Amino acid sequence: MGTNLNGLTRRRVLTSGAVTASVALAGCIGGNGNGDDNGDDVADISEYQYDREEPDDEDRSDSLEFLQPAERDEDFDPVVSFDSYSAQVMNLVFDNLYEWDDEMGLEPKIADGMPEEQDDGETYVFEIKEGIEFHNGDEVTAADVAHSFTAPVEEETDNAASYAMIESTEVIDDHTLEVNLEHPYGPFTMVTMGVEVVPEDVRTDDRDAFNTDPIGSGPFQFADFQQGEYVELERWDDYWDEPHPHIEEIRFEAAPDDANRIAQILAGDTDVIDTVPATEWDEVEGADDVVIHGSRSPSYMYLAFNCNEGETTNPDVRRAVGHSFSMHDFVNEHLGPAADPLVSPVPEITNDSGDWDFPVDDWAEMMPEYDPDQAQELLEDAGVPEDWEPTIIAPEGGPREALAERIGSRLTEIGYGADVQGMSFATLVDTYTTGNADDYEMYLLGWTGGPDPDAYFYNLFHESQEGVGQGHFYEGQGDFHDSIMNARQSADQDDRRELYIDVTEEILDYMPVLPAYSEHNTMAAREEVKDLHAHPAVSFNPRIVSNYQNTWIDE
Amino acid sequence: MGLLRYTTYRFLQAIPVLIGISILTFVLANLTPGDPVRLMLQGVEADQEMIEQVEARYGLDRPMHERYLDYMAGLVQGDMGHSFHRNQDVASLIASRIGPTLLLVLSAYAFALVTSIPLGIIAAKRRNEPFDHVSRIVALLGVSTPSFWIGIMLILIFAVQLGWLPSADLVYPWWSPEVYGHDGYLEHFVETIRHLVLPMIALGTLQMATLMRVERTQMIESLQGEYVKLARAYGVPERTILRKHAFQVAQLPIITIVGLNLSTALGGAVLIEFVFNINGLGRLFYEAIIQLDYQLIMGITMIIATMFVIGVIITDIAYAYIDPRVTYGEAE
Repeated sequence: MGTNLNGLTRRRVLTSGAVTASVALAGCIGGNGNGDDNGDDVADISEYQYDREEPDDEDRSDSLEFLQPAERDEDFDPVVSFDSYSAQVMNLVFDNLYEWDDEMGLEPKIADGMPEEQDDGETYVFEIKEGIEFHNGDEVTAADVAHSFTAPVEEETDNAASYAMIESTEVIDDHTLEVNLEHPYGPFTMVTMGVEVVPEDVRTDDRDAFNTDPIGSGPFQFADFQQGEYVELERWDDYWDEPHPHIEEIRFEAAPDDANRIAQILAGDTDVIDTVPATEWDEVEGADDVVIHGSRSPSYMYLAFNCNEGETTNPDVRRAVGHSFSMHDFVNEHLGPAADPLVSPVPEITNDSGDWDFPVDDWAEMMPEYDPDQAQELLEDAGVPEDWEPTIIAPEGGPREALAERIGSRLTEIGYGADVQGMSFATLVDTYTTGNADDYEMYLLGWTGGPDPDAYFYNLFHESQEGVGQGHFYEGQGDFHDSIMNARQSADQDDRRELYIDVTEEILDYMPVLPAYSEHNTMAAREEVKDLHAHPAVSFNPRIVSNYQNTWIDE
Repeated sequence: MGLLRYTTYRFLQAIPVLIGISILTFVLANLTPGDPVRLMLQGVEADQEMIEQVEARYGLDRPMHERYLDYMAGLVQGDMGHSFHRNQDVASLIASRIGPTLLLVLSAYAFALVTSIPLGIIAAKRRNEPFDHVSRIVALLGVSTPSFWIGIMLILIFAVQLGWLPSADLVYPWWSPEVYGHDGYLEHFVETIRHLVLPMIALGTLQMATLMRVERTQMIESLQGEYVKLARAYGVPERTILRKHAFQVAQLPIITIVGLNLSTALGGAVLIEFVFNINGLGRLFYEAIIQLDYQLIMGITMIIATMFVIGVIITDIAYAYIDPRVTYGEAE
């Protein structure tokens, strides 16, 4: 599918790849670009994570400005909101039933402990902590949690699919809720129960008003809002949980142009910016008074092949393309510390946060190595015409287009060619799902999921998403699609793990898709901003306050 | 023909022009490759049925001519449509964004006029002297350097390196000082100017350079006119000749250029708004195009076209007003 999502609730990260394309994106970081697999290590993002720093005085009234890399949709009602930049604001106003820790594991927040699982994962019983209040003084009850679970489907919002498996909810008492699913749903305990809790009465009284002036139970409340301009939050001094934030006021503004965002942080005109583009990394890192913060993320960039028409219907042709260039070198040269190469459709942090323990080393062995001779041999054996010039489409003006050009040049070096087309996002989403070889034989896109592999396998590989969310039209061998669906509709993680291993190994073997890289989540902050930690999910930055951080300003 | 009649006539003439622009824009926007519904549903776990439902919800499943007629029917009743990507009325979106753009464009024009006319006059008066050579080089650079690049350089020098001026955003004088945390209107005014200086120069440099070249040429021509020679022969002071005889005639092409360059300035504002992170109409227009937000594209285009048409009409009226040789009848 098109682009990046924050898979935790599948919120849209960027409405357009081109919005941020006005800066020069042609630069590369290090490397000679000649494609030799020289074995250099890609820089580790953990170098951009720092120990906690706490202030001497606890009673602080700091203020902070945060620049977002795209305009918000200005939907701050969690039931409705579907963009990550509104969610960045929203996540400071609302508490989740369970919240994600710094590695995307779920921990109880409003819930009192983990849920009781019944009926083989078709029923979950939640206990709600007592004494938690919304900003208006109303107590958070099980009815509010039930409404938070069911409203997206009842109101047919963009978030409906995230809760569509819920058949019913039953409020046992004010602090006990039973949730019944239509069938066991694998991602329920890793994703779905991270729902933001809204006050049912206030919300249903005037949904439009609630959307732009929301009331939650989180550490911040709405203070001021100018549509399309800024949002200001202020600390809620009666916040029920510890710690209370050191930041008293936080202001969100959008700065879609990368160059301007970088200029603002370098000039000291703002405190923190979201997203440091790889092309600007050296400049930001070289600044004396600016610090880059980074985290692994569940983003997944990939090269997909058209398995419906054209030469790429032949798995050997796909394997040949995989051998024709070095992904490792490309990532090293073009993205440097801003990304890690991938060896499967499951990003490293997804594997770790969900304790999946996938055989990543084995999968790395299955990834095609850079071997132009083998690529040439495979293409010749497959009977590919000498004048083969596959069309490769990618979002224009970014690393994915650069990767498409890299593949094109490597194919040219072994006697073939490529027609690389960078496209606006609007054009791309209408092109890559046609299955027509004249439109594309390869496409480069990305997806951001979360701690559950279902976000990747179902959306990017299951046959139900053909022509909608995926355009490779891979039919699969044997039980490929059934395995994806069975894993989705199972609550047994061991079973799911085995199914995902089978599916992944088939993907790496038959290669309808070649995993590319995972882009890290990054922020840049002025040096005086302390105890700031990048979260793997875009929508949780800036986290400001949690059990592992409490951001403050060292004036 | 009287002024009122002439003005009415020109506005009536503008109606078919605006209808033509609306047809062209509607067709071009709808023929742009891409699917706004698929774009909008990125990330939604959608199927073909859902795509069709959304298309039907926004009327995108209907023929283009029907949609156009519906749009125009709404427009004449004051309804500029609904941005399906932003889920807001187009009119309110434009209203919220037009202020910063007008502030930027008008200040850029003010900067261009205030600098170009004196410089052009002095260059003409000191023709082929060092000042003239320098001003010509400056004008050439101004005309040939993209405004966004000037903007980036200004940011790097005056914001990042020197730290004298802000690197982004405008302070809106129509908002209260409290919104920005300013202590009173004096600080509010000063901050408004500080934030305006760099984008104003970036956007106004092209206009300044263009106008300066024209002003210089026109002034040279005027100063060589027979009526100037006659005035000199009568012993009229040089300052008076310059001010009363040469200057007024030389301004006619300037007025024309100012009017016609409005569209250039609005176009330049798109990039300048991006470079300086100004939340104006230009940035909104760019994003509407990227998102294939048809009704928003239409709305902004119609507003810009209307502004341009009004600018041209005012130019014509001013032209006839200043130059006695031009009558309203002749200007038809």
